[in-house]
Amino acid sequence: MAEGEKDENIEFKWGKKRGVGGKKKDVQFYESFTYDGVEYSLFDSVYLYKEGEPEPYIGKLIKIWETADKTKKLKVLWFFRPCEILNFLSTNETRDNELFLASGEGVGLANINPLEALVGKCNVVCISKDIRNPQPSDEELQKAEYVFYRFFDVGHRKILDKTDDKIAGNDVKLLFNKLDSQKLVGVSELGLDKKDLSDKGVERNGVLDHPEKNSQSMSEKENCQLVDTLVRETADNKCSVVEKPTFSVGLEEASKSHDGLSTMCNGKTTPSSKVEENEDCKTSFGKQKSNVKSYASRDGLEREQLTKRCDTLKKSPSEEATLRSKVDDEGGKREVVRGSLGRASNVGDVKPKRDSNGLVEDKQSNKEQLGGLRKKLNEKSRDGMQKRRLVCDNNDDDDMKNVAPSAILSKDKRKLQRAKDSNAVEEVPSKKLKLDNKPTQLTPGKLHKESSTKPSDVEQKIDSCAWEVTRRPDAPWEDRMKSAHEQGTLLLLQNLDPSLTSGEVEDIVWHGFKESCFAKMLQATAFSSPHSGQAFVIFKRREAAESVAKKLKEGCLLMSNGRPLVGSFGYPSFPEKKPTFYGHLVVDQHRMQREMKDAISTSHCSQPNNIEYDMAMEWCLLQERANYSWKKLYRQQGAELRKVKAKLKAK
Amino acid sequence: MGSSTEEEYATFEEKVRRTVYLDNLSPQVTESVLRTGLDQFAVVKSVKFFHNETMNMPMCALVELDSAKKANEVISMVSEYAFMMAGMPRPVRACPAEVEMFDDRPIKPGRKLFCQWLDPCDPDFQVAEELKRLTRKHAAQAAFFLKQQLQEEEKLAMQQTETLKAQFKKLKMIEGIMADGTAHRLAQHYKMRQADNRRL
Repeated sequence: MAEGEKDENIEFKWGKKRGVGGKKKDVQFYESFTYDGVEYSLFDSVYLYKEGEPEPYIGKLIKIWETADKTKKLKVLWFFRPCEILNFLSTNETRDNELFLASGEGVGLANINPLEALVGKCNVVCISKDIRNPQPSDEELQKAEYVFYRFFDVGHRKILDKTDDKIAGNDVKLLFNKLDSQKLVGVSELGLDKKDLSDKGVERNGVLDHPEKNSQSMSEKENCQLVDTLVRETADNKCSVVEKPTFSVGLEEASKSHDGLSTMCNGKTTPSSKVEENEDCKTSFGKQKSNVKSYASRDGLEREQLTKRCDTLKKSPSEEATLRSKVDDEGGKREVVRGSLGRASNVGDVKPKRDSNGLVEDKQSNKEQLGGLRKKLNEKSRDGMQKRRLVCDNNDDDDMKNVAPSAILSKDKRKLQRAKDSNAVEEVPSKKLKLDNKPTQLTPGKLHKESSTKPSDVEQKIDSCAWEVTRRPDAPWEDRMKSAHEQGTLLLLQNLDPSLTSGEVEDIVWHGFKESCFAKMLQATAFSSPHSGQAFVIFKRREAAESVAKKLKEGCLLMSNGRPLVGSFGYPSFPEKKPTFYGHLVVDQHRMQREMKDAISTSHCSQPNNIEYDMAMEWCLLQERANYSWKKLYRQQGAELRKVKAKLKAK
Repeated sequence: MGSSTEEEYATFEEKVRRTVYLDNLSPQVTESVLRTGLDQFAVVKSVKFFHNETMNMPMCALVELDSAKKANEVISMVSEYAFMMAGMPRPVRACPAEVEMFDDRPIKPGRKLFCQWLDPCDPDFQVAEELKRLTRKHAAQAAFFLKQQLQEEEKLAMQQTETLKAQFKKLKMIEGIMADGTAHRLAQHYKMRQADNRRL
């Protein structure tokens, strides 16, 4: 249907529909359109022209719609050019054609503009190494007009290399390069999922035929979109909801009820359509470079405060991909859950805060309800799988008024939950591993070292050493040191290689004295000796400590690099609560106390126009002199040591 | 073992490059103070306080930032511009962190440790004994040096306090006579013009 002739009779044609919304359900959302001979799709990067600006803005289309009075509007997520955010770039280098995608929340994230402001598509390629981003080929890079891999958070005014899962209500995946059929990840995984859900799909199809859905509600639409995108990813269907794999749970339902939605699914439903979309997306990403007009001047264009009107509609295929892939971060998982939830309860969005339907009030209220339910669901989902299932069911029940196929939906939800859970679970173990690594550094290190140095009776050592080490790490070091000192089991070892770790020290003690102990290498400070490291060692029994001390005094335990171990009873100094610190002067005691309360704000660089600066310089001078003296001292000590070590036969 | 420890060490070294060592910290400096203070320049990932237990010095801190470049910037900024935290006028000192400063460092890969008891008849025994003695001597020297350093700091602090007090008194007096009109009256008496930038 040709329409939209404006003043200049520019050719215009709507493309795929996405759904409807608005108070009276009179707003039609679209996924694509042709304007002046160029086809635009959701998530394309485009140039927008403003009168008076020397260069066009570059943005990403995240919502396209036509209002009841036939005005066409676009919601555009902005790209920033480096020159617009110089203040926040600090000394980061930027490429010539780099752009920054807006993220976060606040003014300048996105705006609504009339469609007529478009002047063309822009080829912006995303080169982020984020796993959710399909990497561009060399060709694509060459063809790209702009690239982006970083984000600019408009709320915090910061450059970010990584971003959360949603920007302006859209899954970040959607904002990355669009998937190709050739591109791995999403597609293949989708296929797998498809298989998984095929049986469910059948069921769902049947269920999906329910007319009772409030497909009119925006929330549904959003859900549908989620669903759609999910479906798209899995299925080969362009728009037909039915065939879409059930993976998307809600997707199918949604797509069925809204063919618009299915169209909106950015062609994810079918790989072929996906390819198209992907290419479009890619080009749109590519073009995202240019529209970064000055940050400030964005306000000139029609802009709306972007609150949470994220377009859940714009759930990107990537969301679905994540759902499928089960390796994505929580964001993805959440998205998926959202989809399923949406289906069931028209709530849809995992992120209840994203009310993209500002336009639709009743939908909003629906959404709120749903959001609330969702929220509940989400919160509970954090608790555990089991609980989640239950909650799902509960929510399903609640939502049953709205949606018929509760059983299926709950199943779907659960599946999504499971996916989510598995993702979460996958992540958690990895974290755990990391955690485990740290505390057991001593033991593995110990074990390893023991095996590497003295193969004999390593096993025995391993056992007892391991036991010894793990027994201790509960009490904080200072307390242990204190009590050991009182009990006479604390020794101070010196002349250790400064780069040894505590575990290695323990091993040395074991090998040398056949005593197990707990050691802590003293952390080097700026004025610690570079030649000799020190460690405090706590023995189990006082007799052990005494015998070791005696042995060290009378005998010579030579370590690698010609270092004889030196040790004696340790006398640690425990600085009182407020050790004397010179140099902070105070004129007015009262003011000082007041200031101390706001101590947080008193860090500053001194300006060279006051007494404070002069005094600071005096301190700096003192510090420099001290540094010099320390260096000299250590140099001298080093020379002495080398001279004597040269006499050593064994090294 | 093998590559995993090397990787671990490499990751650790990378972390060290991103970390800034701060000392000359007043006891009032807490983690939040440090974070807020450095937030303006870089993203602070973690803050760890520690101190050398053998010496009675105030705490030092290891602040992990998000990139090595930022760390270098912060260090050069602090060194050039007398950055002060939670008190004046003594600035903090920043250096690039070193591996030995970290308590939880992984083992350096590829190193084998050996130790052996020396026989008293071994000529090396004497050498080792001398090395031991030398070590103790050095440790004593370092401790003495540290004490001296603290004394100098104290001296400077006292000196500055005096100066500050005197300056403050002077300025307060000037402020006072401007405020209560004495300067004005005196100016009139001596028939001098007084600049009319009164009391701000």
